[in-house]
Amino acid sequence: MLRVVAFRKAIIAGAAGAWAWEAGLRLLALAGTPTFDIVRELGTMPFPNGPPGLWWPAGMAAHSMIGGAWALFYAYFFWARFRWPPPVQGLVFAIIPALLAAFVVYPQLQLMHLHQNAAQLDWRSYLLILTPEKWGGLLLGHALFGLTVGSLYDRPVGYPAGSDLARPKHLTRRAKRQRDRRREDDGRFIFATGIECSYPTTDRGKWRRDEMEGTRHYERWPEDFELSREVGVTHIRYGPPLHLIFRGPGRYDWSWCDEPIHELEEMGPNPIVDLCHFGVPTWLGDFQNPDIAAALREYASAFSERYPWVRFYTPINEMYVCSRMSALRGLWNEQLSDEGAFARAVINQANASIAMTDAILQRRPDAIFVHSESSEFHQACCPDPEIQQIATFENQRRFLPLDLIYANEVAPIMRDYLREHGICDSEYDAFMAREVPRRTVLGIDYYEWNERLIDSDGNAQALGELFGWYVIASQYWQRYGRTLMHTETNRIDASDAARWLWRQWHNVQLLREAGAPIIGFTWYSLTDQIDWARAIEEPLGIVDPVGLFDLNRDARTVGLAYKNLIDMHRDQPEYRDCKALRELVG
Amino acid sequence: MATFLGAHGYTPGPTQRPLLAGIMTGVVATVPAIAILYLFPSLRVEARILRLTEAMTVAAGCAAMAAAGAVYGRVFGRAANDRRGGWLFGMAFGFALWAAGATMTLPFASGGTVTAGKAAIGVFLAFIAWGAALGALYPHVHRRLHVSLESASKKAEVGPRAATAGRRPDERQVRLRQPSPEDRRRP
Repeated sequence: MLRVVAFRKAIIAGAAGAWAWEAGLRLLALAGTPTFDIVRELGTMPFPNGPPGLWWPAGMAAHSMIGGAWALFYAYFFWARFRWPPPVQGLVFAIIPALLAAFVVYPQLQLMHLHQNAAQLDWRSYLLILTPEKWGGLLLGHALFGLTVGSLYDRPVGYPAGSDLARPKHLTRRAKRQRDRRREDDGRFIFATGIECSYPTTDRGKWRRDEMEGTRHYERWPEDFELSREVGVTHIRYGPPLHLIFRGPGRYDWSWCDEPIHELEEMGPNPIVDLCHFGVPTWLGDFQNPDIAAALREYASAFSERYPWVRFYTPINEMYVCSRMSALRGLWNEQLSDEGAFARAVINQANASIAMTDAILQRRPDAIFVHSESSEFHQACCPDPEIQQIATFENQRRFLPLDLIYANEVAPIMRDYLREHGICDSEYDAFMAREVPRRTVLGIDYYEWNERLIDSDGNAQALGELFGWYVIASQYWQRYGRTLMHTETNRIDASDAARWLWRQWHNVQLLREAGAPIIGFTWYSLTDQIDWARAIEEPLGIVDPVGLFDLNRDARTVGLAYKNLIDMHRDQPEYRDCKALRELVG
Repeated sequence: MATFLGAHGYTPGPTQRPLLAGIMTGVVATVPAIAILYLFPSLRVEARILRLTEAMTVAAGCAAMAAAGAVYGRVFGRAANDRRGGWLFGMAFGFALWAAGATMTLPFASGGTVTAGKAAIGVFLAFIAWGAALGALYPHVHRRLHVSLESASKKAEVGPRAATAGRRPDERQVRLRQPSPEDRRRP
């Protein structure tokens, strides 16, 4: 799959392009300029001597269909390849059909209009057939077509925030169930994957990105779950769409997740339910809203009441990343670039995470909470004190959300930072006074861009895998001393993904051998993702080939490698009986 | 190019058989194309231009389209498995074949004689229909030819050795495990 294509949008854009062409050239013809009349060329083929009332509709219909096909081709292969304004992209793309029309299609149309079955050609038939007027008309027509298609085909993924997403027809029949797998809470080491489910807003809260819609999970979930069972994962990180389910205070539309959750209950894999993944419902605004804690508490309570068998929860996914992207980098949700807004986003999410945890524990006292967080590290490039200070600060900032929910004293530099940005001591002390539930797991996500170099200008540059998961995860383990799980990784270069998987796994093995209580490993996600290489800031529809399966649900090499890895290890004594997990579930 | 396609995930994985799927679908897709060629007088005209019998023209066409189907599977890689857009990719490929074959190669092969009139329309429609059928059917045919996840995951290239990313074995490596009798029997 090259791009996620909005079919209807592309076809409408292509047909509109054909109409724009026709309107432009009819105006020229009315002004007396001889030009290239593609509609007549096409329409007089079935009606050679027919009146305009016959050939014009036929020609227009044919040209609209051709326009639709070209626009789809544009959407798949050309759209967003260059960072130009969309009308310019369309205009440049139109050079391709224009050249084909001039040198192939037009000469062939002339042959098709002959009243004979064969003809003799020479090179002049291809090159000298068009008069200058016809060249002009052909180029102008294609320019109008390209500009129209480019202007109309935009934002192939996502939908206006707050609008009702059309309920998908279930195209996939319920997948064959080859094995009767049951959910297992029995202390086996967790081999997991996830369904990518991010749903932040962009464009100042007006546009909703929804990865489950883009990857067509809403339609293909039975197949997705069956594929995860075929790979052999025991658990799946799964985030029902909060923004579609939680319609307002006390109002829920559970139809978005009743069937999938029921299937997981019946067949597995065991879900680790992600209750809030990078976004909130439109009526809640964004992460600057102090009311999100109370609202999400209500949602968590309702969720755990409706699905009482669910035991594993991630209340809020990657609070640090969410706060950074929303309030510092200005890409999602509130789209601010302000330190104070960052601090407030962290506080609001930490409050919400705690409130959700408490609500779930009231319904399910033995619930297990997996706090998935991006593991980060910043390395100063040089002994410059200012650069060192930036690296030190960032290396403390990464811990802030976890420090708050785990009641771990922040470093003095962070305490000053919180005070400076309006977080009063009483608010902070409330976090520190909390008793952290026993069944809490620190989930550590790791990608190749998580380690950064602070360069001599004070900017963060991606370092690649410098120290690796082992070293970075050790820092988190030493700080919190909690049960750990490797909760995310993938590789954007599909040809390198199997290597990355095995190397991540060896990191996990080594840290386990060093004594860390690690209960699981995750390749994230089951299918490819959309626009993550650009932090889903723009709705381009570019497919990132990071999944165990591509968006056609065909296995990628890393999917086979993960199955190999699971098959090789799951029955080994140290994984069949994972002491750390057994202690947690017991 | 191969590296670029691999990194962007277009390269078919070990479960896939794009060439076989392309050959099989390429042949199946000739059915609507041949029907169109019969309906128009295109087949007769083509046979006359090529100085072949109609049966031989059909046979040659099937062989050529089988090869073209294999090329389609190879060129489009994973994208060819897309059930939504397959017909479009196939149609585009059919159009390209028509442009390159029927309008360029055939005239040069036949000393400049080409189909015209209704016969030319038939040839064009036949290529488009062949392409659309190829693209639409390919994902379904290919899916039935996939190697199972179970057996593909046993291949050495996806096993622990993948961690080395295909680095050449070090000639100076120390054998850490004593050779088994089975190892000794190996050439």
